[in-house]
Amino acid sequence: MSDKASPQAPKAEGPRTSAVSSWRSSWSRFRREHQWTRWAIPLAVVVVAFSYPWWGLEGPLSFVFNDGLGIDNDTLFNMSIYVMLALGLNVVVGYAGLLDLGYVAFFALGAYTLGWFGSGLFSTRDIHFLDTNAARLPGIHLSFWVVVLLAGVVCAFAGVLIGWPTLRLRGDYLAIVTLGFGEIIPDIFRNGDDIAGHNLTNGVRGVTQLDRPGFGEALNGATGGILPVRYTSLELRPWYFTVLAMVLVTIFVNLRLRDSKMGRAWIAVREDEIAASAMGVPLMRTKLWAYGIGAIFGGFAGAVYGSFINGIFPVSFSFQISVIVLVMVIVGGMGNIWGVIAGAMLISWLNFRGLDKIGEWVNGAIPGSGNDIAIAKYKFGIFGALLVVMMLFRPEGLIPSARRKAEFAEGEGQATLYDVRN
Amino acid sequence: MAVDNILEAIQVRKEFGGLIAVNDVDFVIPRGSIVSLIGPNGAGKTTFFNILTGVYTPTAGGVIFDGNAISGLPPHQVTALGMARTFQNIRLFHNMTALENVLVAMHSRIKGGVWRSIFRTPALKREEEGAHARGRELLEFSGLRGRDHAFAKNLAYGDQRRLEVARALATGPSLLLLDEPTAGMNPEETANFTAFVAKLRAEHDITVLLIEHDMRVVMGISDRVTVLDYGEKIAEGLPKEIQHDERVIEAYLGTAATA
Amino acid sequence: MATAETASRPALERRLPISQIVLWAVGLVLAALIGYWLIKNAIDSPDRFLEVTLIGVTNGSIYALVALGYTLVYGIIELINFAHGDNFMLGTFQTNGIVNNGSFQIPFFPTSFVLAIPLGAAATAHSSGAQKAYTIFMCLVFSMLFCMVINVSIERIGYKPLRNQPRLVPLITAIGFSFILQDIGLVWKGAGPQPLPNILPTGDIFSWRAASYSWDDFIVIAVTIPLLIALTYLVRRTRSGKAMRATAQDMDASSMMGINVDRTISFTFALGGALAGAAGAIYALYIGTTKFDLGFRLGLFAFTAAVLGGIGNLSGAVLGGVVLGLIQAYTEGFWDARWTTTVVFSVLIAILVFRPSGLLGEEVPEGQ
Repeated sequence: MSDKASPQAPKAEGPRTSAVSSWRSSWSRFRREHQWTRWAIPLAVVVVAFSYPWWGLEGPLSFVFNDGLGIDNDTLFNMSIYVMLALGLNVVVGYAGLLDLGYVAFFALGAYTLGWFGSGLFSTRDIHFLDTNAARLPGIHLSFWVVVLLAGVVCAFAGVLIGWPTLRLRGDYLAIVTLGFGEIIPDIFRNGDDIAGHNLTNGVRGVTQLDRPGFGEALNGATGGILPVRYTSLELRPWYFTVLAMVLVTIFVNLRLRDSKMGRAWIAVREDEIAASAMGVPLMRTKLWAYGIGAIFGGFAGAVYGSFINGIFPVSFSFQISVIVLVMVIVGGMGNIWGVIAGAMLISWLNFRGLDKIGEWVNGAIPGSGNDIAIAKYKFGIFGALLVVMMLFRPEGLIPSARRKAEFAEGEGQATLYDVRN
Repeated sequence: MAVDNILEAIQVRKEFGGLIAVNDVDFVIPRGSIVSLIGPNGAGKTTFFNILTGVYTPTAGGVIFDGNAISGLPPHQVTALGMARTFQNIRLFHNMTALENVLVAMHSRIKGGVWRSIFRTPALKREEEGAHARGRELLEFSGLRGRDHAFAKNLAYGDQRRLEVARALATGPSLLLLDEPTAGMNPEETANFTAFVAKLRAEHDITVLLIEHDMRVVMGISDRVTVLDYGEKIAEGLPKEIQHDERVIEAYLGTAATA
Repeated sequence: MATAETASRPALERRLPISQIVLWAVGLVLAALIGYWLIKNAIDSPDRFLEVTLIGVTNGSIYALVALGYTLVYGIIELINFAHGDNFMLGTFQTNGIVNNGSFQIPFFPTSFVLAIPLGAAATAHSSGAQKAYTIFMCLVFSMLFCMVINVSIERIGYKPLRNQPRLVPLITAIGFSFILQDIGLVWKGAGPQPLPNILPTGDIFSWRAASYSWDDFIVIAVTIPLLIALTYLVRRTRSGKAMRATAQDMDASSMMGINVDRTISFTFALGGALAGAAGAIYALYIGTTKFDLGFRLGLFAFTAAVLGGIGNLSGAVLGGVVLGLIQAYTEGFWDARWTTTVVFSVLIAILVFRPSGLLGEEVPEGQ
């Protein structure tokens, strides 16, 4: 059950776009006839992505990508993290259709899990497990990989706890409630340096000196030096590959679930809860699965992110992040994995580097403009305008799934939760 | 002689604020029968359906299905126990294909499993293939051959009605509730549908409860007819008896078609 | 009518799920604890309690005005106007401009050019009473006008074309406008705090030990109450108000009865905007400072107030506003200001989970 355009999918397009749609249908035909494209294309994309440090950061095309577009170490890592976040949110919003405005809560929770179990925060304790740090530092230091898994578990647990009383709410109420949690959880972290006298999160000062991933001496030796003993802030490649590997896992899980019984249940619940329930789909459990899976991936991303930037501060986890990730999912094309990835890459680049770069070009192009047009000042406005324009003219996103496109074309009026008047 | 009732509704009452939609109704469905529930518009028939299927919780009284007390259970659990329904205004999943609609309805009959789906175990693959095959069979059985991959909203009206039924059948019911299934059908389609319902009972052991306005269907196929008016049961018995019942005629004020 | 009883007949009564019972028990215990804590504080230091209560009511009035804007819009088109809080912020900015520069400012976003229409309304703490009164009046009028225009424009540009789209779409649009309005504020006046001189009447009306109530506190109520009365009159007695209520109940039926639905909706947005502008003026004058990101948090607080009182219900919005103001005041006064955000949002979540219809709303009809 792929969500690429199927032969019978309605093409609600006018003469203006018929060139595009005929290109699309010949592309679909080509793909159907040549089954090898199913794995060849994604494989090619993966290879290109993995090899970026060699051709994009340094090497032949670096003047375009690294200097020109500004996709350097930090930007690259940032983009990858956001791709993962967007894919995680895609399960919640894109598949199950749950309006989540508080996704940052899980990102924060994942990061702070690292803060608890992979740093010197609890310096009075001395718990170590497969710790790959150079020295035996005070605090709780579990193996980084264990911490990442733990972050997933903590977020799954939190997701179920939050979701259980709230996921039965109607669309926009759910949005507000999730927004509320997205504010409460960072607030708890902000005030966490004094909860009943205990310092649980170091408050606004945040948690620094976090553990880095690593494989230890043994594995390093066994793989002839390929798996590093521990990651450093100087060498980007291990970080990048790690996140890329996690992104691949996220994509894999997304794909498998999309075409499964749960995936069908999500679409049914999104379309018509009452009918879905009548057909045997347990509403709460189905929604909780979506919300929980989204939470887990948010947690993974948070832990890795926290380690990379080596600093976890409550102020970094704001509503802006929830919105940005949501924008990526929507602008990219809800429910379509490739659209979401494209959207995430585009928007995170724009946000992190792109707008500044565009500002430079604009200022450079306008001779004698004197004072710089500080593009940074307009970031809010540009994103806002982008949202409005997208919703007005292409609410299904840049690369939507055929199903979603059909939903928006007919202007589907969603049944509210409490509409049983028939 | 004890009759095996697949469903028993006992003193079921439903109030919405001041409005009494269903007024202390007792209702049984003998296993293997075809029962029709009729009454003028607004009599509370669909409300009664909603109570049976768990969409509403009765204000008083209870429902026993196949020996299980089901009042207060959520709809998906009632469905899992073996009660399926169609909707008066078609509630298909419009942006899913016919096959997908049917597959969704198999939710309570296939194990699935998130972990097994992620790793696509051989057992899961087999189960999915089986489900797909069963789905295609059901679609063909319901007269929708070749429509597997059509979006539900693109189907012709008659096909949409058939899909509603196919979907309900996919839940593997022992009791099937049909809410005005022949609305909008011409006489030939209606006759086909009536034969279809008879086949369901005869060949597949499915008990059927029908809400109907078309008296040809009611008289032609029902073992028993129950009449509701203003939320109360005003008559119950064989089709022939009901046809001539004064209260029923009065309730309808002459809208009953000749059999 | 008795049916044959069998020994193995299962129970017919509806079993209340344990989860529901637990949830309600927890809620009740919490409510009791909070009640006890409040009463204890009231007894321990009644003057402080009075002081805090008065602060709560005063702030609550501002919340009430903003909450009304949310509830009016939600009542008529079931949309959470995310941009409403930021509209309010722009109202505070307009007041700031009027007091500091004496002119009505029209920002020409995305440039930083501002068209200033002189009103002769600049004032400082040393201005004459007449000047101050004039300035305050100008602030109210022109902030209301400014925000009214903004609200109607947003509706026409962004919400009207999307009336038939699934819920998510106009919600995202609203978030987009929220960002745009924030940016307008940012470009208009910059990122820092924007102070204005205190031109409200000073001096205590009464004081009792630690509690004091001054004239500027009173002005807030003195402006709010007439606005509420005017709004109530408008909604209950005028044709436009009737059109609003009809459209809120059933849009299709209203249009079939000859009501111009588009105009009614725009009118509703205009009203909401005017209220936001008034709230903005009062806030700026009373609190004395404003900032471009003020709208987000305060807007959410006001929305919480609207939900607390019962979304779609006007008296609910007012009640909710006052209650929320009190909640905030008690939290800051008797516990710890750090936790205000958490407390308020927890209240929001609790209401939506336990009683989504709010304090004064109707019971939501049965569903899942």
